[in-house]
Amino acid sequence: MRAPISERVLAYVILIALASLVIAPVLAGSVTAFKPQIIWVSSPPTWLFEPTLENFEFVFFTRKGWVYLRNSLIISVGSVAVALILGVPAAYAFARFRFRSSKALMQWLISLRMIPPIVVGLPFYAMFLYLERGLGIGLRDTFPGLIITYQTFLLPLVVWMMRGYFAELPAAMEESAMVEGYTRLGALWRVVLPVVFPGIVATAILNFIFAWNEFFLALVLSGNRTSTLPMTAGTYIVRTRVEWGNLFAVNLIIMVPVIVLTIALRRQIVKGLTFGILE
Amino acid sequence: MNASDLSDTTNQPFSTRLYNLTQRQRHWFFIAPALIILLLVVIYPIIFSTGVSLFRVTFASQSRPFVGLQNFERMLGNDDFIQSALNTLYYVVFSVSGSFLLGFAVALLIRRITAGKELLRLILIIPITMAPIVVGLMWNWMLDPLFGLVNWFLGLLGIPGQTMLAQASTARLTVVLVDIWQWYPLVFLIIEAGMATLPRAPFESARLEGVSSWMIFRRLTLPMLRPVILVALLLRTVDAFRTFDIVRVMTDGGPHLTTETLSLYLYRTAFTFSKLSRAAAGSILMLLFIGLISALMFRYLYRDVEVG
Repeated sequence: MRAPISERVLAYVILIALASLVIAPVLAGSVTAFKPQIIWVSSPPTWLFEPTLENFEFVFFTRKGWVYLRNSLIISVGSVAVALILGVPAAYAFARFRFRSSKALMQWLISLRMIPPIVVGLPFYAMFLYLERGLGIGLRDTFPGLIITYQTFLLPLVVWMMRGYFAELPAAMEESAMVEGYTRLGALWRVVLPVVFPGIVATAILNFIFAWNEFFLALVLSGNRTSTLPMTAGTYIVRTRVEWGNLFAVNLIIMVPVIVLTIALRRQIVKGLTFGILE
Repeated sequence: MNASDLSDTTNQPFSTRLYNLTQRQRHWFFIAPALIILLLVVIYPIIFSTGVSLFRVTFASQSRPFVGLQNFERMLGNDDFIQSALNTLYYVVFSVSGSFLLGFAVALLIRRITAGKELLRLILIIPITMAPIVVGLMWNWMLDPLFGLVNWFLGLLGIPGQTMLAQASTARLTVVLVDIWQWYPLVFLIIEAGMATLPRAPFESARLEGVSSWMIFRRLTLPMLRPVILVALLLRTVDAFRTFDIVRVMTDGGPHLTTETLSLYLYRTAFTFSKLSRAAAGSILMLLFIGLISALMFRYLYRDVEVG
């Protein structure tokens, strides 16, 4: 069924207006990253200028942006890997085995989504402090410390998403493999995981985006050694003025990988964002 | 082997009994690692926090006297805490309803078009994937009273420059609008995905019978989408409740605490004023509050839907 022409025109007008409301600030802001310092805050905005990479050079080398980029990568990739290793088997069990507490456990897992980061971030800070003073175990401002705390929001999401992907596969798949002599684990590893691999990739990417963008836990629990990219973005605001060109250079470094991933894997990401809602 | 064989284990050798036990309980081998980590990183910290809230703990002093519920009383009697709780409620009400209405509208509109649908959808969901802190910083720049694009644009229309983030009357609304800008696409995606699963038959027969599209929307679309709508509302409520990043970089709670959220206030209490116990008490209150809101939403709105 095609909508009447007047409705379609109206839809286009509104949607294009909303799309420009996305594109205009993102593009106009990003352009600032390529402006030389003198015209960062020119008013009215200057649109014709010789693009320069000096802001990126400054942010990346003088302000050690590469270190923060490395930290962000280690923490995001590491925490997603841990969440997958722990979460994929659990998701498989929820999708395949019938057991008494399965439904209640799954509901509990989903309910973890409502916990605000401050509620766990605060005790984590104190716990890390006591561990350091009492037992000499330093977790504050370390990669393992952050990777552990990131499980609070990554692990439930991994289990929830992967359970959906496993449930889509027919149970006959492992059963026939097991008839052929595979053990349950062998069937899972050799037969099921290869088929569900696209789902694992989608889950990994979406969780990577959330870990990459995370700000609150990093603010509370990281320090000089593990500071992430979103945390450094704030350092370009000095009380009296903002280094806009440098700030947008950092913003671009944070934004571009995620936008590239979103464009490349848009179907999976849309599916991931709305996952489980349709069951 | 049937159930009676399994329960009658007296005659079986130990190894068989053990094997049977592991077979019946095998799901725990898969679930236990994730469960243990979640208990350790979510449940234990909450218990720890509850413990801390019953004592007077600061980073400075070594002594930690037991004070019972005093921290909770202090929090509830604190004007700034109440103010930030009310602000948070304001965020929840306006950000959730705003993003919901806009997202729903976009989901309805995008069904009417064909060409360029994929591209438009891709552009519209970009804000969801951006770091909230980047969104906040970007809009700071857009809204700058001296050189921001918004004021430049208003200037073209003959409206004098505004300092929206510096004025108590407009700061809160501005931050909410930015939050809506970032999150309405999520509502749009959820509603659109929900609409795609609706059966076609009832809609076609209603149309054949000449029912107006408004009535179809009210009597068919809305009731059938109810579970999806509720998921969208619940997700948005939970997220709006924890608002921190955007406010932190846009106004940092100011001017005069008009944009202070619970997360910001508790963060400041713990880390700027190092009143750890009081912040812990506040965060437990916050958790109870959001738990109550979610439970009510579940109970009254979500009762006929299967979860998980």
